[in-house]
Amino acid sequence: MSMITIKNLSYQYPIVETDVLHDINISIEKGEFYAVIGSNGAGKTTFCNVIRGFIPHFYKGDLRGEILIEGKDIRDWELGDLSQKIGYVFQNPFTQISGVKETVFEEIAFGLENLGLEVEIIKEKVENVLKMLEIEYLQEKNPFELSGGQKQRVALASIIVMEPDILVIDEPTSQLDPQGTEEVFKIIELMKNKGKTIILVEHKMELIAEYADRIILMQDGKVVKQGLTKDILSDEDTLQYGSALPQYALFGIEMRNQNMDLGSIPLTEKQSISVVQQWMKKEGLA
Amino acid sequence: MDQIKKSILHLYPTTKFLVTLFLCISVFIVPGYLYAYSVLFICMFFSYLAGSFKEFSDLAIKALLLIVVFIFILQSFFYPGTHVIWSWSIFSIKQEGIDFALNLTSKIVAIGSSFILFFRITKVKDLISSLEALGLPPKVTYIFLSTLQIIPEMKKLTIVIMDAQKTRGVETEGKLFTRIKAFLPTLSPLILGSIAGTEERVLTLESRAFSAKVKKTSLYTVEKTKYDPIVRIILLILLITLIIWRVML
Ligand SMILES: Nc1ncnc2c1ncn2[C@@H]1O[C@H](COP(=O)(O)OP(=O)(O)OP(=O)(O)O)[C@@H](O)[C@H]1O
Ligand SMILES: [Mg+2]
Repeated sequence: MSMITIKNLSYQYPIVETDVLHDINISIEKGEFYAVIGSNGAGKTTFCNVIRGFIPHFYKGDLRGEILIEGKDIRDWELGDLSQKIGYVFQNPFTQISGVKETVFEEIAFGLENLGLEVEIIKEKVENVLKMLEIEYLQEKNPFELSGGQKQRVALASIIVMEPDILVIDEPTSQLDPQGTEEVFKIIELMKNKGKTIILVEHKMELIAEYADRIILMQDGKVVKQGLTKDILSDEDTLQYGSALPQYALFGIEMRNQNMDLGSIPLTEKQSISVVQQWMKKEGLA
Repeated sequence: MDQIKKSILHLYPTTKFLVTLFLCISVFIVPGYLYAYSVLFICMFFSYLAGSFKEFSDLAIKALLLIVVFIFILQSFFYPGTHVIWSWSIFSIKQEGIDFALNLTSKIVAIGSSFILFFRITKVKDLISSLEALGLPPKVTYIFLSTLQIIPEMKKLTIVIMDAQKTRGVETEGKLFTRIKAFLPTLSPLILGSIAGTEERVLTLESRAFSAKVKKTSLYTVEKTKYDPIVRIILLILLITLIIWRVML
């Protein structure tokens, strides 16, 4: 059984006349890392809201089709139970603060307090997450007084600490510098290695190419392409749907168009180096 | 000295509240206004012991003086009575009015100052924690706490919006009227922003399992100290003594 099964899903926000999501069909498998890509307004955040159950439990509107989480329809799940099953880190880090805690440590502990864990266990888990995200130095700070990037990490930590099976993460690196971004991807990979299922909305193609297993490409509320990362990101056709490709893939495609076939389209730095080396050998250049 | 201060501040919130309650009740048992007024000084003394004499006195005087003066003027002129002490054209001060004003204001001062004392020596966090222990639902304490936390945030936001308006050339300083005129337009971004924030706040809470149907735990709890029962017993003895004394009188 798939972790999440979506069949003929369409959705219309209240008041709005047209569908934001059109006839989506997808199954999400346990332990896989999915990257959701697509231009602004493609419906990525809306898609995440459906998976997390905020649509239809919080946002009303018109939801058609089927969406099953572990075989049970989203409409039959209780929102409170979903919070332990699916962790959701929002796009906007500035509103993801409980507003009742004085320190980052307490802020991260908030979810576990709500789950009724014992105080000793809470402390231990929070300490581990602080260490994992390398934000121990923030623990005594007031959550209101953090920078955008720091807030984003605290938001991620606050969800990870609750150890949900599925992590839905909406552009967690928008406020981060390149190094911070890379670190967040490393943390997500760590979660994947723990067997979590990951659905990540991101625009940074080089990192997606390196880390994600599968890609869901959206445009105008439709899933226009889905499949293995290496297939989707090496296909020139993907560019038509308002998405970018990794620089390395663009390079490979350009080489091919110039009649210099590298054999395969590289996606990452490492692959680029190795295919170019092979090609140079083949051409007798090296 | 430090020891006394600590012991007072660390008393359990409900114990502190019982002190306040005792002071309030006692002014209705002890006749006359002198004792009721002296409650202000009792509270000042306690605040001195707790190391917040200045903060307490500032607040108590600011908050209470205006009310007291106002009541005095109104009651002494307009309370019906026959013993005129002083009069000028149609206005006259009557003894009955003064008596009534003394009586009323002394009680207001006593109750006001004992509550101000309570909030000066009790941390909100402690109060909430003790209320939760008493069984107050988390939703209520959440609203209470988040409001308190968000007020300073709103203040900061107002300053940001005001600054933005200043750079647009809007006059924000100077006479009261100018300032009011500058303040009003900040309200709509402030209020709209807060409403938009509420929706996201609800989702944030939801993501953090706020509505999970289990009993919540709490990292922070206030504990009763060894002085709590002593203070409570003293209060009880005092109360009984007062009542007996009053009945025998
Ligand atoms: N609460 C809402 N009510 C009505 N329409 C909405 C709402 N939220 C989003 N939309 C509309 O739905 C469409 C998809 O928005 P969505 O936020 O899902 O896009 P996105 O792919 O996440 O974009 P971005 O990359 O900018 O985050 C947009 O046209 C948007 O205007
Ligand atoms: Mg979005």
